[in-house]
Amino acid sequence: MTELLKTTPLIKKHEEADARLVDFSGWRMPVQYPTGIIQEHLATRLTGGLFDVSHMGRFLISGPDALAFCRHALTNDAALLAPGQSQYTLLADTDGTAIDDAYLYRPSETEFLLVVNAGNLSKDWRHLRALSDDFTVSLTDISVETAMIAVQGPVSGQALARVFAGQPLPSARNEVSRALYQGHTAQVSRTGYTGEPIAFEIILPAERAEAFWDECVRQGVIPVGLGARDTLRLEAGLPLYGHEFGTAPDGTPIPIFTSPLARFGVKLSADRPDFFGGGALAEQVASPPHRVIRPFSVTGKGIARAGCEVYHQGQPVGWVTSGTMVPYWKTPGAAEDGHATRALGLAWVNRSIVPGDAIECDVRGKMIPGVIAKTHLNNRRPPFAIPVLSDENP
Amino acid sequence: MSAQVKILKSHEWARVEDGVATVGITPFAVEQLGDIVFVEMPEMDTTVTQGDQFGEVESVKAASELFAPMSGKVIAVNEELEDDYSVLNRDAFGAGWMIKIAISDPAEFDSLLTEEAYQAMCAE
Repeated sequence: MTELLKTTPLIKKHEEADARLVDFSGWRMPVQYPTGIIQEHLATRLTGGLFDVSHMGRFLISGPDALAFCRHALTNDAALLAPGQSQYTLLADTDGTAIDDAYLYRPSETEFLLVVNAGNLSKDWRHLRALSDDFTVSLTDISVETAMIAVQGPVSGQALARVFAGQPLPSARNEVSRALYQGHTAQVSRTGYTGEPIAFEIILPAERAEAFWDECVRQGVIPVGLGARDTLRLEAGLPLYGHEFGTAPDGTPIPIFTSPLARFGVKLSADRPDFFGGGALAEQVASPPHRVIRPFSVTGKGIARAGCEVYHQGQPVGWVTSGTMVPYWKTPGAAEDGHATRALGLAWVNRSIVPGDAIECDVRGKMIPGVIAKTHLNNRRPPFAIPVLSDENP
Repeated sequence: MSAQVKILKSHEWARVEDGVATVGITPFAVEQLGDIVFVEMPEMDTTVTQGDQFGEVESVKAASELFAPMSGKVIAVNEELEDDYSVLNRDAFGAGWMIKIAISDPAEFDSLLTEEAYQAMCAE
């Protein structure tokens, strides 16, 4: 079967590194290297992690109506992006659920680049193509001809400064610029999916990916697989399509305003009244969904994973959408103080259940105590992402 | 540690000395699971049955059931494991033991795989 799976331009690097390769959304991807998920997570927080995210979909949007098309097809307002900026956005359906969540980059005045989830690529492509009929716009899937690599963590800026031989790199969150790598144009953005305050994503021609990867490794960032990518995003409280968007564990479609990120990813305004899915989103603002996604910590023993039912004062109040055990440095930046682990996650719970509220998670019939948290991670004090423990919440 | 180790197909080993089976999981299972972050152990005095679940072992990615290689009563639980699951990576057949069972039927030991047979199964 494995020969039917798609591979990224970095597959040889993963095989050479003896990564454990798995089928992820039809892609043969590294879930972890011999380092292991725990150490890869910790290395990202202490120094820096290197992630192959080339499986994600990359669509170039250009032409005279590029901006108008983005404003119609996506929930965030692309008109708010100056050239050199990017934004979190979503593809909404007419019922107010997410077709996908995505990142929109505006590297230049006339071009937009939309990065979507690997598992939704075909669905998103068909949807966007259908919507594009009314616009003079050119959509190009550049997922195969490019690679996408994330460099995340405290040393990522210094490492990339050397890889790019001192060319200016974006310095503020969500900035995007272009730099030359071996004479080829690379897009470099201050974005990521780890919660790291210093974080970059690079899109470059596929044939340059291996050299770029090796150079990053030489500069001291450590290859990290999809396993730690998931624990890092979960500690940062970031949603994952299929868990926090899409369908809840009980089969209920999840409205976009269920997620706290909708606040950043949706712009409703009078000058853009009829974007696709906008009607349903306006209704969600007027009449908010009864359940919301909130971070939680397990305070007892065990792990509450996706699909565990959540109780408050004996009553069912929702479901765990993502949950696992994640490691953290006891003192950020000081490996000598050692690390510990904590069980945490995201839950889809009644709006009335707020940070500080005690919950219980049904783990295989056993009730495991937990607490709703405000956050698990503070990324406002670079260079380190600071763990926020359950006794420091809310 | 001279007594013979035999193994259930689902990767739990047992070593019997003086009517007590020490039970754990194999290095192969540890390797397959990845980083182990939690083991749910049975209570003391729980009665376990060969082939039935006695606990759970959890990695970052998934929870896996633990099956009893022999029947009997749980008379010890390795509490030190809880402080440092990485013992499993270093010494799964020794310090990484999970429970001790006062066995009710010594003949069950014969139904388990020898190390050689188990290695052959894993190599398939």
